[in-house]
Amino acid sequence: MERSRLLSLAHLWAAFLCFLPAAFLGMWQLMMRSPLRVPLDDPNAYYASLTAHGSIMAYVFPTLFIMGFGYAITVSTLGRSLRGESWAWMGFFFCVVGGVMALVPIGFGRSSVLYTFYPPLVGSVWYYLGVALVIIGSYFWVALMLINFSAWKSDNPGKPVPLAMFAISACALLWGWTALGATCEVVFQILPVSLGLRHTIDAGLARTLFSVTLHAIVYFWLIPAYIAFYTLMPQAAGGRLYSDTMGRITFVLFLVFSIPVGMHHLFMDPEHGSGFKFVHSVLTFIVALPTLLTVFTIVASLEIAGRVRGGKGLLGWIRTLPWGEPMVLAVGLSLLLLAPGGFGGLINMSYGMNAMIHNTSWVTAHFHLIFGGAVVIMYFAIAYELWPRLNARPLVSKRAACLQLWLWFWGMLIMTLPWHAAGLMGQPRRYAIFDYSDPAVAKMASLDITSVVGGLILLFSVLVFFYVLFRSTFARPEESVSPIRYALAVNPSATVHPLLNGFVFWNVLLLALTLISYGYPIGQFFFLHNQDAPARSLSQEVLR
Amino acid sequence: MSPENGSVHSGRLLAVTILAGILALGFGFGFLVLPRNQGTPGLASASDSIYQALGLHTHNNSFNTVQPPAKIPSYVAWTEATMQQAMGGDAKRGESIAGNCTGCHVEPAHTAESGMPRLAGLDRLVTYKQLDDYRSGTRLSDTMSAVAQSLTPKQYADLAAYFASQKGLPENRGERAPGSHRSYHNADPVQRLIYAGDPKRGIAACASCHGPGGYLIGAPALINQDALYLEQQLLAFAQGTRSNDINMSMRTIAGLLTPAEMKALASIYAKGFDGSK
Repeated sequence: MERSRLLSLAHLWAAFLCFLPAAFLGMWQLMMRSPLRVPLDDPNAYYASLTAHGSIMAYVFPTLFIMGFGYAITVSTLGRSLRGESWAWMGFFFCVVGGVMALVPIGFGRSSVLYTFYPPLVGSVWYYLGVALVIIGSYFWVALMLINFSAWKSDNPGKPVPLAMFAISACALLWGWTALGATCEVVFQILPVSLGLRHTIDAGLARTLFSVTLHAIVYFWLIPAYIAFYTLMPQAAGGRLYSDTMGRITFVLFLVFSIPVGMHHLFMDPEHGSGFKFVHSVLTFIVALPTLLTVFTIVASLEIAGRVRGGKGLLGWIRTLPWGEPMVLAVGLSLLLLAPGGFGGLINMSYGMNAMIHNTSWVTAHFHLIFGGAVVIMYFAIAYELWPRLNARPLVSKRAACLQLWLWFWGMLIMTLPWHAAGLMGQPRRYAIFDYSDPAVAKMASLDITSVVGGLILLFSVLVFFYVLFRSTFARPEESVSPIRYALAVNPSATVHPLLNGFVFWNVLLLALTLISYGYPIGQFFFLHNQDAPARSLSQEVLR
Repeated sequence: MSPENGSVHSGRLLAVTILAGILALGFGFGFLVLPRNQGTPGLASASDSIYQALGLHTHNNSFNTVQPPAKIPSYVAWTEATMQQAMGGDAKRGESIAGNCTGCHVEPAHTAESGMPRLAGLDRLVTYKQLDDYRSGTRLSDTMSAVAQSLTPKQYADLAAYFASQKGLPENRGERAPGSHRSYHNADPVQRLIYAGDPKRGIAACASCHGPGGYLIGAPALINQDALYLEQQLLAFAQGTRSNDINMSMRTIAGLLTPAEMKALASIYAKGFDGSK
């Protein structure tokens, strides 16, 4: 048990230590796009920075965080030590080495391909190998989650798997399946070009394969936040979970529906007809269901806690909730961020409306609001929840932690809302510099400067976060460490429907659905050879 | 059947039924209803509609208006085979052919401004494409057309490999090493054109294709190139006497530049400007 605490702690530290520089890079990028003057005002620097910020924030940081959280959940929910701990360290090692390997060439300006790879752009071999190592490292984790899940199940036949463990296993399975898209793209398409073996790349196929990963990765990031919603928050609020079954249905729906929706990222792409785009649009609407279920269940759980604490009347229970508890506060703020974020998402996923915001700043603002806002604020809260348990020291202090969450909330709103507006005015994304002397662009100047103010608040929030982590790490050790406590359901049952206690059937359904929705869109490239774009690796010529 | 098995069975049935319903809705609307109700002409049957929705368009209606003959800017298409050939030259063999080139393309030290392009260090794909364009007549020059027609594409690649191995023009390393003052904040209007372009006039930044940093495939590095040659090429693109730029990018941009800007750009590049100054 002691060693597995160290394992989780190592993952979380590694995640947050790469989060820190990436946050500074993001700040610089915001300023670069604004009318303000910044050092190194060079589009080349911007694209290198964007690649680093995105690669860290999208791949390295969440993956390491989720792995660490997953190990903590496994040990604490199953009440026994982790099976295959040395393999877990191996996975950690792969992720860290891969992360460094990917970042070094970006720093040298050799892999400014943006974090979504964007063929026919081709960067250094080391960048792709680094990303591949991170994925391989995470596959160790996927395997370990599933091994521990099934080992416990076979040792405890008929007993319901604890909700948090069930959910993190769904998360692992989801990642295991969805990462295959980007992995195939990197291994079979990009690496051959990057190694100089091929000089053209089927950009259409590459984009389609990437879309298999691109949207489901969002749910991979999201599920840990939802785990905190369902299992940690009701306990911290002094109440109970409204429904355990609702949680299981939510996580199963995420597993089944998150992959066959990825083509809504390709609505404006010419390599697909309208038919499959429409099918993916419909399926994307279905994936909004688990979020609606969650909002209902979590608000109901909050209400239960509020009423237990003496809240009366229609809304009186809101006041009596313990908002000084970081976990409760974070959930409240996260739900508030989820509302505008989800609303924006509905626009993005609508086949027709997507055209309006395609490739504008709206999209960037949207995913910062929903991932950086609603999800990462929960990562902070989870860290505050885990830190005292993993370090055997108290959290110093809850007040600073709450201040940090409030700063993050306001910073994210102030940064992303004007950013959305600039997108609606037509500001393109992936642009390094804007000519603010142009009257059409000048109209966006005040919006962009407001975003910079939001960014500064976020950066301050990050510093407060690290202050709390360091203070808590070096606080006076506690005599007894309280274990992580998970919420009980209002009506905990001794049994659970067998379909909601395992994944075999849902895996079959997921594979069938993926085959139906992606079979033709991917298969077509093997008989329509019209998407090959020239691409060349320059790193190879230098090596020669 | 035990009660547990029964509930598993009915649960599975329910899930599959709901999923089938959702899919029927998605596929029905996406492949049958919507294509036929969006005013696309010529969708008579269900199979036409499905064909359309898959993106496999059929153009049944033949054009009855007279189309102008297509003007082809270059016969070089960057296919896998062409790229393999253009990249696979032998510098040794190229060196023996290059003996014929040095009559005009002399070492830069001897000619401050000759109007002749400097070839040492030129990117392989650039050399290959320009030679092929001279051969096909999409780029015009009496001398160079004769030279190119006397060589084979294999020899273009050999020459390309040889020139690429020489020191001269900056090597295309695909690096985007960051510098400063490469944005609209740069006070120098010529440097601004190079690094930021002039979107108000619809002019893209030179550096976005010609580096340093990103290089478009087939676009040459301009730093250290001959000033007179650069200026002449910009003029030729502007007047349309040179037209082997795919998608008219250079004809469009050069047409928007003033003669003074062309001269200034040519001169700043020829002086070895790399943006760090």
